[in-house]
Amino acid sequence: MSLHLLPQFIVSGVTNGSVYALIALGFCLIQNATGLVNFAQGDFVMLGAMIAVSLYQAWGLALPIAFPLAVISVAMIGMLLERGPIRWSRNRDVLTLVMVTVGASISLRGAGMVIWGKGERMLPAFGGDTPILIQGAAIMPQTLWILGISCLVLSALFIFYRFTLVGKAMRAVADNPYGARLIGISERRMVALAFAMSGAMGALAGILITPLTGMNYSAGLMLGLKGFAGAILGGYGSTPGAVLGGLLLGVLEALGAGFISSAYKDAFAFLVLLAILFVKPAGLFGAEPAKRL
Amino acid sequence: MNAQRPDPLPHQGPAPGPSPGEAPAPNPPPRLRPQSRHALAVLALILLALPYALGNDYLLLLFNIIALNALVVLGLNLLIGCAGQISLGHAAFYGLGAYLGAIAGSTWGWPLPAALLFALMLTGLIGWLLAVPTLRLEGHYLVMATLGFNIIVTIAINQLEPFTGGPSGLAGIAPLQAGGFLIDSDRRFYFFIWGLFLVLFAATLNLTDSRVGRALQAIHDNELAAGAMGVACHRYKVRVFVLSTLYAALAGFCYAHYVSFISPKTFDIFYSVQVVTMVVIGGMGNLWGGLVGAALITALPELLHRFEDLHVLIYGLILTGALVFVPRGLVPSGLALLRRLRDAAAATPATDAADAPGVAAAWAPPAIEPAPAAALPDSLGSPGTVLEPLLTIHNLSKHFGGLQAIHQVSMTVASGEMVALIGPNGAGKTTLLNIISGLIEPSAGRLRFRGTRLEGLRPHAIAALGIGRTFQAVQHFRHLNVLGNLLLGYHTRGRAGFLGCAWRSPAARREARRIAAQARAELRRVGLEGTAEHSVDQLSLVQQKVLEIARTLALEPALLLLDEPVAGLNPRESEQLMEWIGQLRAAGLGIVLVEHDMNMVMRYADRVVVLQHGAKIADGPPRLIQRDPKVIAAYLGTGAPGEVPLEP
Repeated sequence: MSLHLLPQFIVSGVTNGSVYALIALGFCLIQNATGLVNFAQGDFVMLGAMIAVSLYQAWGLALPIAFPLAVISVAMIGMLLERGPIRWSRNRDVLTLVMVTVGASISLRGAGMVIWGKGERMLPAFGGDTPILIQGAAIMPQTLWILGISCLVLSALFIFYRFTLVGKAMRAVADNPYGARLIGISERRMVALAFAMSGAMGALAGILITPLTGMNYSAGLMLGLKGFAGAILGGYGSTPGAVLGGLLLGVLEALGAGFISSAYKDAFAFLVLLAILFVKPAGLFGAEPAKRL
Repeated sequence: MNAQRPDPLPHQGPAPGPSPGEAPAPNPPPRLRPQSRHALAVLALILLALPYALGNDYLLLLFNIIALNALVVLGLNLLIGCAGQISLGHAAFYGLGAYLGAIAGSTWGWPLPAALLFALMLTGLIGWLLAVPTLRLEGHYLVMATLGFNIIVTIAINQLEPFTGGPSGLAGIAPLQAGGFLIDSDRRFYFFIWGLFLVLFAATLNLTDSRVGRALQAIHDNELAAGAMGVACHRYKVRVFVLSTLYAALAGFCYAHYVSFISPKTFDIFYSVQVVTMVVIGGMGNLWGGLVGAALITALPELLHRFEDLHVLIYGLILTGALVFVPRGLVPSGLALLRRLRDAAAATPATDAADAPGVAAAWAPPAIEPAPAAALPDSLGSPGTVLEPLLTIHNLSKHFGGLQAIHQVSMTVASGEMVALIGPNGAGKTTLLNIISGLIEPSAGRLRFRGTRLEGLRPHAIAALGIGRTFQAVQHFRHLNVLGNLLLGYHTRGRAGFLGCAWRSPAARREARRIAAQARAELRRVGLEGTAEHSVDQLSLVQQKVLEIARTLALEPALLLLDEPVAGLNPRESEQLMEWIGQLRAAGLGIVLVEHDMNMVMRYADRVVVLQHGAKIADGPPRLIQRDPKVIAAYLGTGAPGEVPLEP
């Protein structure tokens, strides 16, 4: 088939994959801090993009200002989700808490529909619309922005976890919340921080992808599910796994859409998910789940 | 002779037990519990009167959709509430039932029953293929698999236009008919679908209150202990998942033939989330709650329609609020509230205090007639004959990564012999028990139980062979009462399956009656008679331990593995419990006892095996072990043979 298009597919796969990786990281942060799957993650993505659109278009703020403001807003929303419904919940059962995030997701989507309507919204591309040609692949400046910012975020996260006291405290809470409490780490504060960071990751992903694909109030669902699939592909809860899983998912999806059938583009991500669950459920980079007795 | 325990029918009463004549004659279990029967009758009457009271056919349409959703929720509730597994893909099974039935019936022109059978069988098969690999894993992998599956099915329905009509849907599906009678109006469908629902609802209520329902509940509460009671956990989980997909497919089939037009939008992930919400809102594991949840959540968007664009937001907020503030579900919380109000109205302060005791009262050890024949394995003579090994362990090793937990341990246990397994903390005692009972695969070595190899067998199969075990921390099923916990011990001695339990076949009823009588007799014999209907938490520790052992004895084991049975008990209770365990040994059971209480070990054990760092360092009668310098060193860390720390 059209093998000469391969570089193009890889570029678009890596672009989408970086966005999936950011979303997967959001899942991963909350999973590690609380053991919950946050179904509102996709709505963080939508909110980030929509808030940036409003700030840029309605308020006329410059993109470099609207961008960080939107990220901070969604971080606050993430923290409110934890401070509010999740902390108020009288039943600490994991299933109930996960269902609370489902409820939150529907509420956020509903709010999105009320505020921004049902139409498609756009942001301008960061670096203009003139593609750069490299090795037969046309690369949009936006793609470079996405890759660059993703790399930056990853490095920052790595430094945070490895070299800062707060990051280490957060890993301690994930590893053993009881032990962490005993040595004076506030588990609550760490969990709130995890939700805030996860909201920021989602918002970032949303703002980065909107100039390429647009955004509407319900688009968060599919993006969130793909990020989730990426996180499982890499090994649920593993930070490097989330990144590699997200990237791999993006590439596989682009290749599947390009070489097999673009009609089934969205299905490939989930076929890969099923395959990995059947063959290597711990994910590509996750540790085998320890059997507890 | 093979250790397989065949049909337990000609059984002589519970292991060392009283004569069957002593057992009370419990009432034969009726087709349906009286309370459920009354509630169902009321529900049926209301439903019957409703169409005449309403007069508005739009509302009938709403009620029909409620019935369809309630049908999906019924199966899903069984899966979530009883077996503790979540599916976020039931919209896909609902859709498969609808599309497969419609394609077979309308496009290919198959007769209705054939189309129904085709839709059910194919959906069930797909569900089975999805469940077998994912349910083998611990954790919530089923959620992710079903979620992915749902999205794939929605996309496939959209894309397979020649079959499904694609996004624009499939129209012109003929209405259902039964023997020439067309179900083509809202009113006719109303009676049909609610009749169908009530029948399946009654059957499912039966199922939850049966051998199978108990096993499912046990899997949810404590999978580990359920396996040790001989419950084939994986098989049950797969079956209940497939059953729930069949309910969904049946509902989908009826839906397609009712509305005569189906499109992919109906079967997307949002519907899956909705049905799970119905279960959670109503009350997980409470079938009545599922019905209430289905009615509320189905009606809610209708009620919210006049808010137009706000309706999604309001829906989400109501959902979140209900989950946050009424997390147990509306029906269980409502019932609890009613009970509290009733108690507050009826109770004088005095009864409150007088109610609780009597439960945690002192426990007296059961009187055991020495050596009743029933406890003896057929292959062995009386306890006086030569002891031939029941369990043989040869060169067993287990390592976790680099850690050598068990290193080339060999030992035997004979019928009527109590072997104590001792050793410092971390010596590998519990690991050894876990290997024998199949929870952990050995890395190397052989295990033979009456000639049958145990390596590679699942815990439930090992339990069924006749190896019972208790756990270091007492393991119970918290959603089952004391009698229910004990009844679970008889799981391997029942035969009734899903169908038998759901329809209460005569054989299933006879079996339930026989086992309930045995369990009650056993409960009386071990001195827990008055507590049958109590929750296990209300028992004292010693009573809980007795219950756990009684439950394990109900398996009719030939070998009993006891992990620190007297830990946490006071001296008198320990004495009584060990006295009872000693009598079980005298009755012919082989016993492996892991225990830290040296007094007990030295007094009761026939032989002592000492482990240190996973290796066996001594094996012999208690007298010799007490003087073994290696053992003393292991316990004290020094080699001063003059001091004898193990002297009782």
